[in-house]
Amino acid sequence: MAWIRRTWTPAAADEWTREDWYTIVISPLAYILLMVGVALSLLLFPAGFAVLGLGILATLLMHWIIDPKLKVISGEYEKKQRQYLEELERAARWKETGHG
Amino acid sequence: MVAFGFLDWLWIVLYLLIMVSAGVLFYRLGRRSESDFFLAGRGLPWWLPAASVYATHTATDTPMWVSGVIYRHGLAGLWYSFFAGWCAISAFVSTRIFRRSLAYTQAEWNTVRFSGLGAELLRGWMSGWQVFMSMFILGWVGIAMGKVCQYVFGWPTWIGLVVFSSVCAVYVMAAGYWGVIMADFLQGVVAFAVILIVSVWGVVAAGGPSAIVSRLEEMGEGWRLNPLAFSGWFTGDFPIAWFVTMLFIALLGGFGMGTSIDWYVEAQRIQSARTVRDASYSIWWGTALVLMRNSIWAVAILGFYVLYPRIPDTADYEMAWFRIGFDYLPAGMLGFFFAGIIAIHISTISAVLNLGAMYFTRDLYLHYWKQTASERELVWVGRVATLVLLVGSFFYGLIMEEITSWLIFALWIMAAGVWLPNILQVVWWRFNAWGYLASWIANLGLSWLVVWVLPSFGLLPELPDYQQFWVLMVLGALIYLPITFLTKPDDMDQLVRYYVMSRPIGWWGPVRREAERRGLLRPEAR
Repeated sequence: MAWIRRTWTPAAADEWTREDWYTIVISPLAYILLMVGVALSLLLFPAGFAVLGLGILATLLMHWIIDPKLKVISGEYEKKQRQYLEELERAARWKETGHG
Repeated sequence: MVAFGFLDWLWIVLYLLIMVSAGVLFYRLGRRSESDFFLAGRGLPWWLPAASVYATHTATDTPMWVSGVIYRHGLAGLWYSFFAGWCAISAFVSTRIFRRSLAYTQAEWNTVRFSGLGAELLRGWMSGWQVFMSMFILGWVGIAMGKVCQYVFGWPTWIGLVVFSSVCAVYVMAAGYWGVIMADFLQGVVAFAVILIVSVWGVVAAGGPSAIVSRLEEMGEGWRLNPLAFSGWFTGDFPIAWFVTMLFIALLGGFGMGTSIDWYVEAQRIQSARTVRDASYSIWWGTALVLMRNSIWAVAILGFYVLYPRIPDTADYEMAWFRIGFDYLPAGMLGFFFAGIIAIHISTISAVLNLGAMYFTRDLYLHYWKQTASERELVWVGRVATLVLLVGSFFYGLIMEEITSWLIFALWIMAAGVWLPNILQVVWWRFNAWGYLASWIANLGLSWLVVWVLPSFGLLPELPDYQQFWVLMVLGALIYLPITFLTKPDDMDQLVRYYVMSRPIGWWGPVRREAERRGLLRPEAR
């Protein structure tokens, strides 16, 4: 089994999977590396350029992992969105909604 | 006071004309429906709300705040601005869940997630609180602009407060969120350019990056270049315990909704994105830009420190970035700098005006007052609410000095004790409306006790804010968890409907099994 799944069915993409957890770990790391890397690079510290480079790599990796899944989630959800919006509007106006 | 030439005034007038014309250009789009006036029809590509996330996170008081913490703590001060890091996890967790709920506001989300009277009480409370908060933030940011104008032109503070917020209100009332988002994009570009140019100018004025580093080391203050210059485990200005607490609050907060005060304004950007993917990227990239922007500022403030070391008065060194711009930029560029300050200012004002109007229109007027209101009527209510918020913000702005300490405390108490409940409501099916409501009420009382009352009687030592956070979190849980278990779970029909639509992360086993039993989800998909 591949470490990172790159092709998704709509039902599988709707579940929380290890790709989400990889993203949850990498994303804060990318923020920290980018923030610290930009500051130290502007001060021309060699370590700053290394940290910034790692931040860019982490950002690219994160997108590579999560983007295929997000595309499938979005595509599938858009098909149902109109019906959900109608239900939301009925609830906002205190009309009966189709529960369950 | 700063002397402006013809070219400087030309920059400012041109900029204001472009901003107001955004309202005129998008007037027809904004008036089409409630969804257009408040969410731009839910059809925006990710980079537009991302620019808005960036622009609204850059208010007039932001450079003062960043200048203050960097001047005081050196690069370690960057961590004080890292609370925005909640978006790192939120972009891929709570943003996805909230976007799928389709709720216009966090108040509306309460009635999508919870059920019955408890849900309605939550919606009413949260919408009222957010309308009040919008007015307060508008006053707070507005008076910061008043102070900048006083510094630059010598005007009384009320002029800066009233003039620029009023100009901004023109395009917000005309085009609603369409005007906000399009102007934010332009403002984001202008603000980033100005921040970059002025900061580079400041670094050059200090002799360049190498000179800043060597000068700080000569002064015996090389620690200012270390972003992890801790003062001890629990002691000093920058203890490790504070740092760990900050990371805990900022990062894990991304699993919840409302764990940061910025959530409420970002929630509007999330719903305006055209897909779940666009929503995720708008939050992630908008915030990434905010964090990198803070780093650019930080280096400029180090340059300022080298030029003007050891200023004792906080109010003086908080103006560091503004002083770099006004003291060092050449004639003709000052107007460009001030146009950038206007961009920074009105991007926040416009976002909060439209946000507060949305809570009033969607949650108070439509849901509780007139359920038969037409789309046209709702747009007009949105416009009137915008005007009322604007006038209210003048009132708050002018009395801000007297009430700031109380309101900062109010903000704190609204954040600390409900941090965990804001996560539990997303990740745990059994956490019900009564438990969540109890957490808010308990937090109000406990915060007064822990922060003010008990220390004043000597019954509790005066704790640093990060320790108050942990105490309030534990004490609150002792109240809302029993209440959650002593009251019934939310209606299963409502929970199943919410689960199928939003697919939340966490402990939702019984709801999941019920959805499968009803044939709404396939077991094999797990």
